[in-house]
Amino acid sequence: MDNLQKVLWQEVLTDLKSSVTKANFITLFQNTSLESFEEGIATVSAPSMMIIDMLQKRFSEELKEALEKHSGRAVSLLFIPKAPPSNTTQKDGPLFTEERQVKPFIGHLPRVRPDYTFQNFAVSGSNQLAFVSASTIAKNMGQIYNPFFIYGPVGVGKTHLMHAIANDVYQKNPERKIVCLTSEEFTNEVVDAIRTNDTARMKKKFRSSELLLIDDIQFIEGKEKVQEELFHTFNFLIDNGAQICLSSDRPPQEIKRLEARLSSRFAGGLTVDIGAPDLELKTAILGIKALKYGASLPNEVALYLAEQVQDTRSLEGLLLRVITQATTMDVPISLELAKKALGHMIEEKRTHLHADDVIATVCDYYQVKTTQLKGPKRDASLVKARQVCMYLLKTELDITLSEIGNLLGGRDHTTIMYGVEKIHALVENKARIHEDITGITKLLQR
Amino acid sequence: MKATLRTEDLQKKLTLLQHGVSQRAQLPILLNIYLEVTGGKLLLRSTDLEIGIETTIIVTDPEEGAVTVPAKPFSELVSALSGEVITLDSKEGSIQVLSKKTKSVFQTTVKDEFPRLYLEKGEKVAIIPIERFQKDLGYVVFAASTDTTRVNLSGVLLKPGEATATGKQGTLLVATDGYRLSLKHTSDSGPSSQIETSLLIPARVLREVLALREGTEDISIFVAKEQNQVIFSLGETLVVGRVIDASFPSYEKILPTDVASTIFFDKEEMLKAVRMCSIFARDAANIIKFSLRKDKIIVSSQAASLGENTVEVEASLQGEENEIAFNARYVLDILGNIQDDDIYLEMTGPLNPGVFKIKGDDSFLHLIMPIRVQG
Repeated sequence: MDNLQKVLWQEVLTDLKSSVTKANFITLFQNTSLESFEEGIATVSAPSMMIIDMLQKRFSEELKEALEKHSGRAVSLLFIPKAPPSNTTQKDGPLFTEERQVKPFIGHLPRVRPDYTFQNFAVSGSNQLAFVSASTIAKNMGQIYNPFFIYGPVGVGKTHLMHAIANDVYQKNPERKIVCLTSEEFTNEVVDAIRTNDTARMKKKFRSSELLLIDDIQFIEGKEKVQEELFHTFNFLIDNGAQICLSSDRPPQEIKRLEARLSSRFAGGLTVDIGAPDLELKTAILGIKALKYGASLPNEVALYLAEQVQDTRSLEGLLLRVITQATTMDVPISLELAKKALGHMIEEKRTHLHADDVIATVCDYYQVKTTQLKGPKRDASLVKARQVCMYLLKTELDITLSEIGNLLGGRDHTTIMYGVEKIHALVENKARIHEDITGITKLLQR
Repeated sequence: MKATLRTEDLQKKLTLLQHGVSQRAQLPILLNIYLEVTGGKLLLRSTDLEIGIETTIIVTDPEEGAVTVPAKPFSELVSALSGEVITLDSKEGSIQVLSKKTKSVFQTTVKDEFPRLYLEKGEKVAIIPIERFQKDLGYVVFAASTDTTRVNLSGVLLKPGEATATGKQGTLLVATDGYRLSLKHTSDSGPSSQIETSLLIPARVLREVLALREGTEDISIFVAKEQNQVIFSLGETLVVGRVIDASFPSYEKILPTDVASTIFFDKEEMLKAVRMCSIFARDAANIIKFSLRKDKIIVSSQAASLGENTVEVEASLQGEENEIAFNARYVLDILGNIQDDDIYLEMTGPLNPGVFKIKGDDSFLHLIMPIRVQG
């Protein structure tokens, strides 16, 4: 029956092809078919109601005649909408037919060191406030200390804390939008955006962040356009409850050529400083670093290494040197080994220092004249400078007490001994003098 | 027939109606627009027999009657008119268009030749807020096949959503051309915003729905099963199409269940990178390669005769580093059609489909079949 219907419909179409225009035939008849033909009722299908409407209006007579002619009986027409049969030989495409290969994970943020976390940050008196505030901020983004401004000298762990905030926030919720970069990278983005006329995209990038961390912000000194952009971004983010963290080597008000409106905003949240690490902290840091490199570091060696330098970055350098030495020689790390490994380096440093340099630096630091320092006057400020000088000459250059006495205007060696011990005790007690000593030592190392 | 109406109204509606006029119709009548004044309104229709568009404009001084006019010249003329109002006045075999200092006369065709768009609207199956429906559709429609011989792939599947833990059902929109697949789960926002039965609707019809701009908030979907017909009704405007009577590929089983690498990136930056790389990919089967690294995606392309290009896009990776190659056009399509900025790509290996998703939005996913490349 099916086949008969097909043949019948084919005959009808052939007839119509010659009697209707080509345009009509292609548009209206091409996708039609005879669905059923029973008891004189021909059911004709076409793809849409609109086509059916046109067929009915204009060609039902022709169709009827042709059907009657070829079937030899009276016919009444019925139209139904039906899509043309789809091409079933075609596959559904590779997405549905190609076999799959079957094959787990750790978070990481761009420009953020994953190893800088709160867990491996050694805490002591000099950085405790900074540490506690940073971890509080990571827990309560944008709610309490905003902006958070850390400042301190080189190698005290500012970047470590900044990245630790980013890592902590990210680990708790990888969906948070975190932007972490140095002020130089920020400057480059701004300059690039201006150059390519695409400031909108740059603005969007920064202004959509929930946590913005900019390291070494002091480098935007004197860059007016960058400061302006930062100012607006800053306001926008604060208004929208985003957290901002900044680090610098000095407090906001001491950054020169920084617009007043910016420096006041920088200082508008929490400003904390990280001081130079004391001996114990340096020792603790060495312990953590040694763990990172998988080496076991005896306490005495750590203490020895910590005595040698001030900033933590050089500390890591020393440590690496010792570890390398131990690995190449295939012996455990010992004090002897450490001394041998660093001996050359430290000696070298020592020989460069001269007693006159120490005296000059101390005078410079305390703003006194060398003649005053060596003179007989015993004003409180002079005495302090003098005693610090004694202490440094003893600890840094290891000159004998009587020699120091000679250098400082012919003083008795007992005077020198008293001075050295007094400063030593003050340093031990972490008094303010400690900072002075660190500062001067640093100046000396230049 | 006779009617006076605002020029601006007519101009807007004619732009819309043009979409329904066949570009290369074999039948002259299909190059026309149907105009009818009835009940104080001007009714306008166009059709290419596959889809139909109907809309109305409120008029003053109506005199009932109907004519058809050549669509293109009529639209062009009306769009050039500057007067506030237009008066249409049809006499025997012609229609006058009067506006300010312009008087034009068009030959008309007998209205009876123009096909009816529908017999009845059918049963209302859903009412959905138009803004959201159009946005959601925009994420899906582009993935449908434009090859009209592959009927089942040329449509978008509208399907009742599964009940989820939160009790939200909504409607699923799915489209695929066999190389990529877009899926969007629209959220519920009213008692009848979930569609009642699965419908496969030609992408072409939905593209017209996307172009609709009316003052009303909800779009209604009507289905007349007997006539195999679907109608989208928004305000004064209807888009009529047919329901595709073919089976949609079973997409559920190709949705990846595991993931080895997830990488987050910014859409705009990626779009730029892919555009640049597609310059070089044009002569090389449009292949661009993505190298997923821990803090970036390296997008690269090369053409033997032209050279090569590499762009780094800042990104953050979870999981293992990976490689995958795509047809640049598909990547441009997905990035160009979504409005969100934070995107991520999930993949399991170079030979399995890559899945693009929106950060913080689990109602959308887009699969692209990778291209097998050496090295």
